[in-house]
Amino acid sequence: MLPLRVRSYYSLLQATTSPAALCRRAKELGYAGLAMTDRDNLYGLWDFLKACRREGLRPIVGAEISEPGSGKIITCLVQNIDGYTNLCALLTRRHKAGGLAGNSAGSFSLADDVAPLASGLLVLCRDTDLLRRYKEQGVEAAADLGARPDALGRTLRAVAGGLGLAAVVTADSAMGEENDRQLYCLLQAVRDGKTISQAMRQETAAGNWLAGKEVYRTRFAVWPEMMEATAKLAASCTFTGPDFGVVMPPWRGGDGRQPALVLRQKAYLGARHRYGDDLGEPVVERLEHELKVIEAMGFSAYFLVVRDIVHRKAADGRRKKRRICGRGSGAASLVAYCLDITNVCPIKYNLYFERFLNPGRTDPPDIDIDFSWDERDEVLTDVLRDYQGHAAMVCNHVFFQLRMAIRETAKAFGLPGGEISRVTKRIPWLHAGGTESLQQSLVSLPSLRDQDLSPPWPEILALAEKLIGVPRYLSVHPGGVVITPKPISCYVPVEWAAKGVPIIQWEKDGAEEAGLVKIDLLGNRSLGVIRDSIAAINADNICLDEESWQPEDDAATRMAVADGATMGCFYIESPAMRLLEKKAGTGDFEQLVIQSSIIRPAANAFVREYVRRLHGGTWQPLCPEIGDVLDDTFGLMVYQEDVSRVAVALAGFSHGEADGLRKVLSKKDKILRLEHYKTMFFAGCARRHVDPVEVERMWQMMMSFDGYSFCKPHSASYARVSFQAAYLKRHYPAEFMAAVIANQGGYYSTFAYVSEAKRLGLQILHPDVQTSTIRWAGKKERIRVGLQSVHGLSDGFLQRLLLERGREHFGDIGDFFRRTQPADNEARALIHAGALDGLHPEGNRTALLWQWASFQRLLQDKRRLSLFQVRLPPAPPLSPPDLKSRLRREYAVLGFLCDHHPLQFFNQQHKGALKVAALAERIGQRVQLAAWLLTGKLVSTRTGEAMEFLTFEDETGQLETTFFPEVYRSHAHMLQSGRGYLLTGMVEADFGALTLTVDAVRPLHSC
Amino acid sequence: MAEGFRLRERAVLHFNVADFAVAVERVSDSRLRQRPLIIAPLQATRAVVYDMSEEAYGEGVRKGMPLRQATRICRGAELLAPRVSLYHKAMQAFLKELQGYSPLIEYGRADGHFFVDVTGTHRLYGPAPDVGWRVRRHVRTSLGINPIWTLGTSKLVAKVASRLVKPVGEYIVTAGDEAIFLAPLPIHLLPGLSANELLKLQEFRLTTIGALAGLDRDQLMVPFGSRCDYLHAASRGVDDSRVCGPAADGESIACEHSFVDDTNDEQQLHGVVAALVSRAGFQLRTRQQVARRVGIWLRYSDGGQVVRQASCKTGTSGDVLLQTLALAALQRAWTRRTRIRSCCLVCDRLQRRSSQLSLFAEVEAENGQCRQKQVTGAMDTLRRRFGHGVIGVGRQYSGNL
Repeated sequence: MLPLRVRSYYSLLQATTSPAALCRRAKELGYAGLAMTDRDNLYGLWDFLKACRREGLRPIVGAEISEPGSGKIITCLVQNIDGYTNLCALLTRRHKAGGLAGNSAGSFSLADDVAPLASGLLVLCRDTDLLRRYKEQGVEAAADLGARPDALGRTLRAVAGGLGLAAVVTADSAMGEENDRQLYCLLQAVRDGKTISQAMRQETAAGNWLAGKEVYRTRFAVWPEMMEATAKLAASCTFTGPDFGVVMPPWRGGDGRQPALVLRQKAYLGARHRYGDDLGEPVVERLEHELKVIEAMGFSAYFLVVRDIVHRKAADGRRKKRRICGRGSGAASLVAYCLDITNVCPIKYNLYFERFLNPGRTDPPDIDIDFSWDERDEVLTDVLRDYQGHAAMVCNHVFFQLRMAIRETAKAFGLPGGEISRVTKRIPWLHAGGTESLQQSLVSLPSLRDQDLSPPWPEILALAEKLIGVPRYLSVHPGGVVITPKPISCYVPVEWAAKGVPIIQWEKDGAEEAGLVKIDLLGNRSLGVIRDSIAAINADNICLDEESWQPEDDAATRMAVADGATMGCFYIESPAMRLLEKKAGTGDFEQLVIQSSIIRPAANAFVREYVRRLHGGTWQPLCPEIGDVLDDTFGLMVYQEDVSRVAVALAGFSHGEADGLRKVLSKKDKILRLEHYKTMFFAGCARRHVDPVEVERMWQMMMSFDGYSFCKPHSASYARVSFQAAYLKRHYPAEFMAAVIANQGGYYSTFAYVSEAKRLGLQILHPDVQTSTIRWAGKKERIRVGLQSVHGLSDGFLQRLLLERGREHFGDIGDFFRRTQPADNEARALIHAGALDGLHPEGNRTALLWQWASFQRLLQDKRRLSLFQVRLPPAPPLSPPDLKSRLRREYAVLGFLCDHHPLQFFNQQHKGALKVAALAERIGQRVQLAAWLLTGKLVSTRTGEAMEFLTFEDETGQLETTFFPEVYRSHAHMLQSGRGYLLTGMVEADFGALTLTVDAVRPLHSC
Repeated sequence: MAEGFRLRERAVLHFNVADFAVAVERVSDSRLRQRPLIIAPLQATRAVVYDMSEEAYGEGVRKGMPLRQATRICRGAELLAPRVSLYHKAMQAFLKELQGYSPLIEYGRADGHFFVDVTGTHRLYGPAPDVGWRVRRHVRTSLGINPIWTLGTSKLVAKVASRLVKPVGEYIVTAGDEAIFLAPLPIHLLPGLSANELLKLQEFRLTTIGALAGLDRDQLMVPFGSRCDYLHAASRGVDDSRVCGPAADGESIACEHSFVDDTNDEQQLHGVVAALVSRAGFQLRTRQQVARRVGIWLRYSDGGQVVRQASCKTGTSGDVLLQTLALAALQRAWTRRTRIRSCCLVCDRLQRRSSQLSLFAEVEAENGQCRQKQVTGAMDTLRRRFGHGVIGVGRQYSGNL
């Protein structure tokens, strides 16, 4: 017998165990296979198939399908590929009917909707009416007696016998083993919003766990024939998983012409546009090479589909040019560049095409495109409409992460939200537990030093630890779209996300395993920044011709980059990156490409070595066998593809194998597969007689690409956008900084960008209801704060405000209130932000607040029907707020101050404290200074200790600081961004970049 | 000192023992005077502060703050478990001292606050300030407690004066000087203002009581609506409210339980409600009253409070029906998962129990009720004799309420 009807934790919040653990457990219990049937989904299909392969089990694919509203459930087991297709269609139909209001279409009934899609499926059910109905409809059905013989089982058995249907024993399990009971109750509590004590008391029989064959045999000793029937039924399900090959998006253009021909024609046409009519030999040679490979691998249509998506043909047949930036390895393709789907010349920047496509590559490549963040949704809507029924977005399986697990468990234990946040907010994002228990690791966290983890916290943490890694819900992938030639529900079940878009039930790895080619259409804030800056510049009658714009050749821009003055510039604004730019001091495009790739978590040592070599330090190739492969990067492995190139040069890997190694490094579950490549690499090197010590060193260097790392085409493509941003910042700072803040989502807070704008000599003007637009606006030396930055203003109010202002300017404060009808919080926020100062003769905000109260009183007073004709009575003589109160309120609603720096209001009693700008003269000295904490980055030392790099600022500049482990341990609990501190430490300089190594910190108190 | 007081003026004395529980503890153990003191349940892991000394307050400890946080802030503090019965006893002793001077005494629940209306007692006990001095002297000698005392023409003025001199001292506001006395004082000393109102007053830069008094009633109507009357009067020191004696029988019965460790366990909460019902029922029966409405007040650990009620037409004093009503109210009130810090049961809409029997009552139901009544009666007898905790129903919480 095989256990049928086993739910994995992909039956969201209804089961506890992963497919891998279930398979392991099934193996331990001596089963030859099992049927994993999650509730209404196939989320875990690929995990299940992989685990079955690993354990040598026979997989039976299936799913439970529930009827919305009635609680009836059937189990469908797949017998063949038709059954699989039907199951996908059934699940899709079920989700369409049971989706959120607005998305749901029609109804779904198990009695009527199963039969048309039942071929190739075996249906198990525990409802006698359904059994009879299925028999009538000719559906292949069996009675599901459950895991224990009971009264319902007896009836089912009798009915099945009467109908001539089989009756089978099913595990009907939601847990891998009995020990998971507490976790199961916690999941119930999370799902139903109950307390853990309620869930424990109400635990029902649905909480079965997977038991051994003997257990079922003993339980069903009264009906021994059922065990045999079960085995027989399981044997009829021979389907072991779908195999679609590579599923490419279909190209619908060309009017019958071959895609390869059309691609060639379009590529040459584009090349002439890019390089002029006289294409040089390198261009033609490269184009020919690429076209040959693309055609041989059958990807011609794919390029054309991507082009159609990126520059879609409008109804008039003309293509709409969108501002884009190619990301990922696709930017290495000249064909892509000529089709205008990437933005850097791969010949000029020596980009390696094989990184993108090579004959040995078995998996489909993906072309990823960035659009401006606010245009991306339009692109997606177009794609989903153009390919309706054939396109859907990829989903993300969202698992309980550390913070979410702690939060949900603590809520089930009834702890107040504030108490939970005090703990969870202080857990660093990158916290990894290691081998110790969650409680041990949290207790040792310096940032939680002053937190109370007394009971019931130990119990909460112990349970939360089990919850980590359990899937909770589905979200939409930021931009992955799959387009299929047949309807997409033939390949994978589709459901609808809350915002109404169709999503497939697999995330990107699952889609890749299934062979579905994904196109990433992502949103990029900086493209919006560049678009808005250029629009603002052009509106000022300055013409910036983008066709001929070469920001990377502009000397002033290069100097700014070399000086690290790139805050706000895409991709190169992080503190680490700006420090590196300063140390390098070159500011040229090629070096920027290297710099933006070399900064990755495990490569600190390489960064130092890069700077040394850049400044003329001597170096030798990694080893003689590599030759000049890495000469461009001073002998260092910088890009992802360097791993492949070294593997080819040193160990004789084929391009395909080398690409496989490169790819596996960025995967989450790499350990097993990496072991295989390691063996291959060491064996290959040994064959070529490379010194084993060198081989080990090389391997370690490759391992520094663990986690995230970048390929050169990607970095080059991004560096182009970085340079555009740097150019705009250097030459049009007001327009640029306004666009950075208006588009939001940069590395720093609005507060930090405002400070930077002030340091650039720009004047920040208060928001003003008479002149401010929703977004920030910059012109010459001034930036006007946008209404978007006044917290709490609703969209409806903003629209009313703009509409009314468009009709006529506001005459007085009463006129403004009457015409815009703000809510209480909106009016107060506007007053505190200074947006209504212009509507009072002296700009007295106390009087404005009084006027607002008067207006509200008049509104409430039913007798004053003539409200709209009267003027507000004058306010009594109230003095305006004192400076500190005014600024405190301004800070509360804006998050920054327009005319001051908050540090001015802190106790400046510390004698001899310096300003950041003065530190350059104090290199090597111990100094004290008052500074405002902006942001921080927690890292781990080689010995596993936590330390942090923090960015501070004052009115004169920004300062990067280092908190070594000991200092970090003793001060982490008091560090909070958006507060002032008194820092003491040593000023250090490295190739001209200043940092402060802090040895003491004290919070500043306002005076 | 007493010249300014004429008989037609009201004279209200306010006695206020700052940090009453701490003061009482310090009387019983004089060593506690040397160090900051925090009073909170000690056995519980999630206890909150019940009361604290002035020194601990100065270091940031507040009532209701988690004890662990309080002990971290004020590391040197001595910790003591609350002895509520002792504080009640001290209140009673203080009250006894005051009862010699006036029948009109208003006081809180073990909080050390007393208003004494001594209007017209001049001939009997001498000028009001003398009473203040005398009571303090006696209380200091007999109880070892040093109360603040203040004298004003209303509760409001006396209260403001007491807030002004806290933690020790005395203050006399002469009749007619109320407005002058109040004018320079910061607005937060004025009693009866909500946090929202204080915020509004700050926004309008009305930082002193005098600034508030500078606005007329119509102006105050603009931001404060119907509260303008109170603010207008209070800012001028006008307060006509009476000093009320102890609550009369006709009002309500309230029983409260604070969980030492906050909880969201259903069984535990039901147990506590059963215990509260038995206590309230006992009181009702003792008073020969019935309640027509039962309310449950839940205070959550995050400070949120919910009140819900259930009522019946006929009124009851029997535990069974009271319990049914209380559980119905609890079900309406308890809608969150957050732990509960305290639960209060309030029986109101009280009326005298009618001894008239129902004319058409069903015999069987009557028999059941009759048996129930007998059991309850027997339990009440036992309770009266041996104390309330001696007997109860099985589900009820057996600890101290």
